[in-house]
Amino acid sequence: MNLSTGVVLAAGEGTRLRPLTQTRPKPMLPVCNRPIVEYVLDALVDAGVSELVLVVGYKRGRVQDHIGSTYRGHPVTYVHQRKQLGSGHALLQAREAVDGPFVSVNGDRVIDPQTVADVLDGFDGETATMAVREHANATAYPNGAVRLDDGRVTELVEQPDDPYRLINAGVYAFPSGWFDRLAATGRRDGDLYLPDAIVELTAERAVLGVRTEGLWVDITYPWDLLEATRRLLDAGLADERTADPGVYVHETARVHDRATLQAPVVVGPDAEIAAGVVVGPNTALGRNVTIAANATVERSLIGADTRIGSGTTLRDCVTGTAGEFGPGVVVPGGVADVHIGTDVHENERLGAIAGDRVTLRGGACCEPGTVLGVDATVGVGAVARDRVGTGAEVVR
Amino acid sequence: MCGIIGCVGRGSATLDTLLGGLDTLDYRGYDSAGVALAGSSVQTGKKAGELDALRSHLADRSLSGAVGIGHTRWSTHGPPTDANAHPHCDCTGEVAVVHNGIIENYQTLRDELASDHAFESDTDTEVIPHLIETLLADHDPETAVRRTLDRLEGSFAIAVAIADTGAIFAARQDSPLVLGVDDDATYVASDVPAFREHTDRVVYLDDGQLVRLDDDGYAVSEFDGTPRDPPVETVEWDPEATGKAGYDHFMLKEIHEQPRALRQCLQGRVDELAGSVTLDIDPDVDRVQFVACGTSYHAALYGAALFRAAGTPARAFLAHEYATQTPPIEDDLVVAVSQSGETADTLAAIREADRRGADTLALTNVVGSTMARECTDALFIRSGPEIGVAASKTFSAQLTAVNLLALATVGAGDGDLRDLIGALRDLPADLQTVLDGSDAERVAREYVDSESFFFIGRGYHHPVALEGALKLKEISYTHAEGFAAGELKHGTLALVTPDTPVFAVVTGDDEAARKTIGNVKEVEARDAPVVAITDGASDVERYADAVLDVPATHARTAAVLANVQLQLVAYHVANELGRSIDKPRNLAKSVTVE
Repeated sequence: MNLSTGVVLAAGEGTRLRPLTQTRPKPMLPVCNRPIVEYVLDALVDAGVSELVLVVGYKRGRVQDHIGSTYRGHPVTYVHQRKQLGSGHALLQAREAVDGPFVSVNGDRVIDPQTVADVLDGFDGETATMAVREHANATAYPNGAVRLDDGRVTELVEQPDDPYRLINAGVYAFPSGWFDRLAATGRRDGDLYLPDAIVELTAERAVLGVRTEGLWVDITYPWDLLEATRRLLDAGLADERTADPGVYVHETARVHDRATLQAPVVVGPDAEIAAGVVVGPNTALGRNVTIAANATVERSLIGADTRIGSGTTLRDCVTGTAGEFGPGVVVPGGVADVHIGTDVHENERLGAIAGDRVTLRGGACCEPGTVLGVDATVGVGAVARDRVGTGAEVVR
Repeated sequence: MCGIIGCVGRGSATLDTLLGGLDTLDYRGYDSAGVALAGSSVQTGKKAGELDALRSHLADRSLSGAVGIGHTRWSTHGPPTDANAHPHCDCTGEVAVVHNGIIENYQTLRDELASDHAFESDTDTEVIPHLIETLLADHDPETAVRRTLDRLEGSFAIAVAIADTGAIFAARQDSPLVLGVDDDATYVASDVPAFREHTDRVVYLDDGQLVRLDDDGYAVSEFDGTPRDPPVETVEWDPEATGKAGYDHFMLKEIHEQPRALRQCLQGRVDELAGSVTLDIDPDVDRVQFVACGTSYHAALYGAALFRAAGTPARAFLAHEYATQTPPIEDDLVVAVSQSGETADTLAAIREADRRGADTLALTNVVGSTMARECTDALFIRSGPEIGVAASKTFSAQLTAVNLLALATVGAGDGDLRDLIGALRDLPADLQTVLDGSDAERVAREYVDSESFFFIGRGYHHPVALEGALKLKEISYTHAEGFAAGELKHGTLALVTPDTPVFAVVTGDDEAARKTIGNVKEVEARDAPVVAITDGASDVERYADAVLDVPATHARTAAVLANVQLQLVAYHVANELGRSIDKPRNLAKSVTVE
């Protein structure tokens, strides 16, 4: 059935994506130059949802400033989750803004309109309905593995020991009265999780599960953004103008005749690329990025307003906004062990992750797997490795 | 100053259409509001106070009529009372009129009509329905309106509803009026947002034109009856782009929109690698006179300094002074700075300049505004709609656009062109950095109870000091003054006490910065709290009680960033004081009276 209202949960930080999420919530991270939340809103609008409700919290101004009060002509209402007390608590904040049945979607995962349309097709107006999909690693998937029986969800479990094939895709249609049920759901250490409200219903087979196969990209770690961008570029989903197959250049970007763009690549609005620069493959340059002569950028996501000096080489990088990479900076890329929080991820292919406003002065280098905090500086000719904290400076 | 709306073809939705339109126009003035609906008779409802007062007044009355007019008023003649609210009617109650502007000969007309007509208000407007009433005795309604227009002197936009005509008549003379055209309905309003929800097709009326709206659509003619067929244009603004997007006030939303506004202003106009600035205009620039008022005047002062830095004689004038005491014009390009492009004082100034043969250029936000159409050239600042009465994003965009104008026409002067273009391209990100890390709310809390605030700055920071003070005055109702840093000791220092915080804008570490720091020491010696807005290059922080940081950049762009900190200070002081931030008392967004 058609539903007019969609609630997007966009309040989460995404701690495993620091330092990128130190200055923006996870839904505002760019994939293929567009924030994730835009793909989610597109999926809703294309599936016929016209009233958009965004639950915002962590760094909410970033979402509000970017989306504004309408999205593609449809009104957007913001509700503020003041404390981060779980996905169920987030959804509950939308109670006053929603009337009747509605769609609920996570704002931090790229989905396509078909996934939403499939859930709406399966929804009968009275029975909670969720999207499920096959996943290679369903048992480890944090939002829950699922078993279906004749279109009914019989199990929704977190990280089970025995094998599962299906996962909870995070797209739901809920009937009127859902908020009452959600509010009555048991909390865990004070937090209220949306899947818990569904688990309570699975025993009585009161939840419909709809199998979906559309595009669906989950992002957990910074390097997932590289993979996600590659998949969207492969799917031809960049929205900039195509010059050659796989080469997307915004009409306001200025690319020198003697610069080389290797597909797939996307160049954002207002970007400037000088002579002798080589960009791509699998690279997205954000809005207003400037690249001086003879620099090379491969397999990287470069945040908006970043400046890359002449002769600099960046490989396998994910950078925040407004970075400054002086002339002759080298991030050679490659495989390394990466420190994220208290975990070490072994053998990830990663040149460097940089938070917003990092400065790498001329001749600076990053060993593979370096994580640079927001406002970090690497001095002239200095070598950064492992982790450089927020505002810290590497002098040699 | 006031806002007008009229509609034909909305049937039973007429009243809702009018009220919805007034909602979007109330930034133009808001001390009283009213509507009139016309069918076989004319029914009016009006009330002093904000629109909600009118809404509750209308709730227990059932107004109906197939056509209607509405008005929000900002007082020029007579206090804001129910009687002075528009619409005004004739003695029979068959003619209702809403009006924006001033009827200069209203006293003469009133004296002439007084013996046969009963006047109920103190307004100049009320002469119009009574004149029409008199003329209706011998003429059809349209002719009666034309003959009335012939009698009026001054500036006006009016809309008239007359019983049993099924029509609205509207006319424009020196006050904005625009038509909205839909398949089965037609609108007329002071500004596009009033009907943008219903249609994006608009017709801009020119001075001296009358339009008749009825079931057949609309017909435009000169006051003398000569038919005209002005073009129908399409406007792009999204009707919902004027929501608050989750912020408590439009002003705060608009402050946070500034990075985007500046991107739009710069887009396609700068090429850093080529070192070029390209505008779609190419005026001759030997000398420049800027004319503007209020916040736009501060942008004009800043702009004049940019041209002087490149060796081009340039001065900024207050438009209302310029219009009545026009300086000599020798090959000067006269640049009018006005967000709305409708500021009556500024229009008067450029008309005077035009009369004297000068080329004119409008620096404005509104495509299709009177100024954009009347000036030789127009440069648009591309900020999108600004609803908060106190300008924020449009000021930053004015500063950015005037930089583009100077670089494109006279170059960078002593600066390096590529460096300057680079600094401009860095502005959106630098501005975001200011927004993300600002301490302004804490500073505002600390000093909210002060008796007076002073703002000082030198060079490009002088206009910023003036604007910082104006913003604080406008929205917090607290006394504030801005000065060129060196001027304080020539008098105003006498007012500086421990209860008067001084905000000093100091960036870089050049001679100007060091001199301003000298001025900071003067106030510090009088125990005034000092708040430094600085990039940290100099040692001003040693003399400051609080610091508001801006990223290091060129002095020209640093002024834009420093101003954002002062916007936030003004906002948070006003918010602490519980002021009506988006609609400060006595003020209107677009000042269309002289």
